[in-house]
This record gives sequence, structure tokens and C-alpha cells, in this order.
Amino acid sequence: MDNNALIKIDKITKVYNMGMTEVYALREITMDVKRNEYLAIMGPSGSGKTTLMSILGCLDSPTSGQYFLENEEVGSMNDNQLAEIRNKRVGFVFQTFNLMPRANCIKNVELPLIYAGVPQEERIERAIKALESVGLGDRMHHKPPELSGGQRQRVAIARALINNPSLIFADEPTGNLDTKTGEEIMHLFYELWKNGNTIILVTHEEDIARHARRIIKLRDGLIIDDYINQNPIYA
Amino acid sequence: MKLFEIREAFGQAAESIMANRSRSFLASLGVIIGITFVILMGWVLSGLDSAMEDSFKIMGVDVMYVDKHDWAGGKSWKDVRNRPNITLEQANKLIKSLKDIEIAVPVARIWGSQVKYENTTYQGITVQGTTYDFGLTPGGSIEYGRFFSQNEDEYASDVICIGWKVYQTIFPKGDALGKQIKINGQKFTVIGVITQQGTTFFDFIDNICYIPLKSFLKLYGKYNRSYSIAVKAGGIQNLDNARAEVEGNMRIIRNLKPGQQNDFSINETKAFEEQVATIRLVVWSVGIGMTLLSFLVGIIGIVNVMFVSIFERTKEIGIRKALGAKKRIILMQIIMESTILSFFGAVISFILTSLIAYLTATFVVSFVPQVSFLAPLIPFDLLLIASIISIVVGIFAGLIPAIRASNFEPVIAIRYE
Repeated sequence: MDNNALIKIDKITKVYNMGMTEVYALREITMDVKRNEYLAIMGPSGSGKTTLMSILGCLDSPTSGQYFLENEEVGSMNDNQLAEIRNKRVGFVFQTFNLMPRANCIKNVELPLIYAGVPQEERIERAIKALESVGLGDRMHHKPPELSGGQRQRVAIARALINNPSLIFADEPTGNLDTKTGEEIMHLFYELWKNGNTIILVTHEEDIARHARRIIKLRDGLIIDDYINQNPIYA
Repeated sequence: MKLFEIREAFGQAAESIMANRSRSFLASLGVIIGITFVILMGWVLSGLDSAMEDSFKIMGVDVMYVDKHDWAGGKSWKDVRNRPNITLEQANKLIKSLKDIEIAVPVARIWGSQVKYENTTYQGITVQGTTYDFGLTPGGSIEYGRFFSQNEDEYASDVICIGWKVYQTIFPKGDALGKQIKINGQKFTVIGVITQQGTTFFDFIDNICYIPLKSFLKLYGKYNRSYSIAVKAGGIQNLDNARAEVEGNMRIIRNLKPGQQNDFSINETKAFEEQVATIRLVVWSVGIGMTLLSFLVGIIGIVNVMFVSIFERTKEIGIRKALGAKKRIILMQIIMESTILSFFGAVISFILTSLIAYLTATFVVSFVPQVSFLAPLIPFDLLLIASIISIVVGIFAGLIPAIRASNFEPVIAIRYE
């Protein structure tokens, strides 16, 4: 095994039981991701890219196959163990932001720290730092409905970063944003990558995927292409 | 379970309740009614108990009455009716024979009599003829004036000691002593007022008027009546001894053969206890039925709202799980919410019942004197019990929705709109 790999998956299969029929979302996928990679998973809807992200992000378990995250087998972990992995090693950024609408930015960002058992003072301190790092230092006490789409996504990114995760997942992070705001968010991801983070981007948009350094294309649950992007945006 | 998890769950739960105030109130309505029943029931029962205790203290727990009849009415009516009367001679014989007691006095009674004073007539009193030493028993304790003396007793003086209710009814202004009242056409001078002894339940005791036994016999005739003997054992520890002596001696006096049943009854203040026990049972069984029913409704109400609440927040729960919330955190958050709902219902019940208790004891009592045994305050231990019940109800009501919510698949829940 390549010990330098952050992620290593071996023959991962995911089957959904839809009543009488079985739907194969992933078919024996094998791949690995190194530290500080900037990877885009591409594919049309139904290709299995979201399923793959869910399994890599420990939101879901594979039907069969092995998944090593930092040399640790997580494919067979129970719910609580997976919750801990999600809490400490993974950060998520979603298309629909998925913020708590009634809580202000600090409360939203500190949420993973609450589940990690970090004391309140430290939580707030770190949440403020994270919000400042995404350029929201002056919006910390606002609630999500009072923010623009781009600002909301920045809150979500701050939340994803708060626990210093090993890798950050971004599921169509610009899907609900206009082009200009989307571009700003993508620039933020670029900076995160530059600072040493590992980023896995899930998208069906070519323009967005072109920010990544490596692109994997899925179709019908299979990897049909895996290549290095020779002309990334923000080179 | 760590402290920060509890604090977090509490905060989330409180926030969720505050965001849906009217729904939360409706959900806890069943619990409000249920807890209100529990508290009111306990309040009435504790009122009964303390009223009974007060009466016993005054009447004396070491006093027994030898009667033809059984107060509790346990024996068959036919048997009792056919018992021979206790004659005055038998009563005096018994009194003379008793050694291991403090005082024993003969008593003759007329029920359902009436007194007249000027233009006032008071119906339903009991005239009791007895000897001067009845004044030494708790039943003859005097509030104003004095009990009649041995002389007055000997010479059949027309003097009377009136019961507390009689006093209050025919002498509303006080000043009863020295006044002349009429019983059965005969004038009596009031020389004493007996201390209040009854409560709502034994108020007939305060309708008793005492006259010297000889005056009684002069007024009503000596024969054809059954006498009672009031016996004060002299301390509750001597009650068993005294009862045994009374029973043994009375059997001899009545010429009963071994194996033959007693043809008299030894009545103790305990007999009242049985009477109150019946009332208790009625209050309790009605109360418990209502309580169980309303708790059932209460639990269903909360379970229902919790289900609505968790499905409404499926996405939120999904996000929390995606960010690392473990099952037990979600579980606790939901249970905390249902528990707060239920406890909140209990708090409303506390306020409600305290108001009811206060108004009953200060306001209603002036219209319905029968409720005077009820205290103006809800006993603290009742509030404690009700709090615990409400918390248990909350935990139970939250359990199933909480398990459901904690088992949401994060990957599905997070995409739920």
C-alpha cells in the first residue's frame, strides 16, 4: 500500500435496493488520493459521483469493498465511529450551504467543535478566526437569511475548516451562486489548496472542474477517465 | 454523557420550543391537565388526612365508647338491632369494675333533638347526659365557662354545656354563658361551651350538648334506652389493655358464655378513620382514572408533536450528523425537548393548582364551608412528585421520536427539503 495516500479505496461497490430492483450506484471503484491533491469528480447526474463523495466523506458506507482513510479502514466502522471521522477529519461544503437558519455565523461555524467537545471560549475564538479567514469578519453576528449566497457559502467553508480536517469535500459549491460569486468561492478553494489542504470537488460543470489539478470522470458507477488537468485556472 | 452535550442539547431543545410556541403549548396541554389532576388529588387527600389527624388529637386517640351499636356499621344490622340495651345498671357496674383505665363515665344520648333560644331554633343537635367527670376527657374540654360540677350532677341541675356549632349558630354574638335555652320544653342555663372538635367530616361532634345524666333522665325517662360508656384508657400505649379489660368485664356483666359473640361494641376514634378511608378511596380512584387518561392524552400529544418536529427538522438533523453529531446527541436533544415540553406543562399546572388552592381556602370557603379542610398551599412534596412524573412522561414521550431521529441516514436527511 502506498503509505503516502490520504485516501485509498479498493473495489468499492454501492448498491441501492429500490424495491424489486437493485441499482448499482458504484461498481468496484478503485482509486487513491494523495495529500494536498485538488481533485474534481465529474459526471452527469446518476453517474454515481454524489454516492462516491458520500462514501469518501463517511456519510454513507459502501456495500462492499475497502476504504482506507489515512491508513485506517473506515468502510466497516459503526455509526458513532463514522460520526467522529466526519467531525474531526472531514469538512463538507454543500451546494445548498446547509447552515442552521436560526443560528448566527459564529454559532454555525462552531457547531463541529461542540460535537468535538471543545470548550466554549476556544470554540468562539476559533470560529471568529475561521470567519475572518474567509473574509466575513464583519458579519459574524448575522444569521444566514441576512447574508448573500456567496457569504453563506463562505460561512459553510469556514465551518468546514474549523476542525482542521484532513480533506475538504465540496459538492457543487457554486451551484446556487451567480458566475461572479461562484468564481470568488472557487478562488477561495484555490487558496485553501495552496495552503496545503486536500480538496475533493464534485461537479458536473466543466468550468468548475477546471480549477482542480486532477479530474476523475464517472459514468454509470464506473471511472471512465482519470487525468491531470494541464491547464488549471489560477495556475 | 458529557456536560457540554447536555448543555448543547438543552439549548437546542429550548430554541426549538420557543420557535413553535403555540404548538408547544398545545402539546403540553394533556400533561397540564394530568399534572393538575395529580396535584389536586394529592391536595384533597392531604387535606383529609390533616383534618382527620386534628380531630383525633382533640377527641383523644385513647378514648373508646362501649355501645350497643357499632359505629363503623361493620356488623349485620339485624344482629345489632336484636342486641339487648345496655342498661344504666350495667353501665355503672362496668365503670366500677374497671381498674386499668383513667376515667370511665356513663353516657345517654338523644339524636336529632333541637334547641331554642329566644326566636332561634337549631335542629339536629344531640343531647348527651353524662356525669361531671366527662369534663375530664378530651371530649368534654371547655372553650368558655366550665363543665358541670359533681353537685350539679347529683342534684340534676338544669345546666348545659353546648357544642361549638350550637354556640356559633344560636349565639352569633358570643356571650352564651348564663343564657337560658330550651330543650324539649325544659329551660337550661348555659354554663360552658365545648371546644371545637370536628372538621368538615365529623362536624356532628360539635352539635352535641352535654347535660347532667340525672337531668337527662328527668327529661327523657330512665328506661327503654341503651347507655354508652365512655372510657379513657390514659395514653395510647394502654389502649390494648383497657380494651381487653372493658371487653372481659362487659362480657361478664352481660352474662355471655365463652364462644358467644359480643352483644355490644367497643368503638374507638379509629372508626372514623374507616369512614375517611372510604372518602379517600373515592377521591383516589376518580383522581387516578382521570389522571391516567389525561396522561395518556398528554403522552400522545407530545409524541405527535415530536414526530412533526423531527420530520420538519430532518435536514437540520442530517446536517448535525454530517458535522459529527453522534446518535446519542440527537437522541438527547429530542428527549430533552419532549422533557422540557412536559415539565413546562407541569410548571403551568403548579401555577394553576396553587391558584385554585389559594382561592378555595380564602374565597370559596366562605360560600362552601365544607371545603375548610383544604389548605391554601399545595404541599411541596406534591410539587416534587409532579415534577418527577412530568419528567418521566417527557422522557417516555420523546423516546420513540428520538430513536427515529437518531437513526436518520445523514446522506438522505441532508438532502431532504
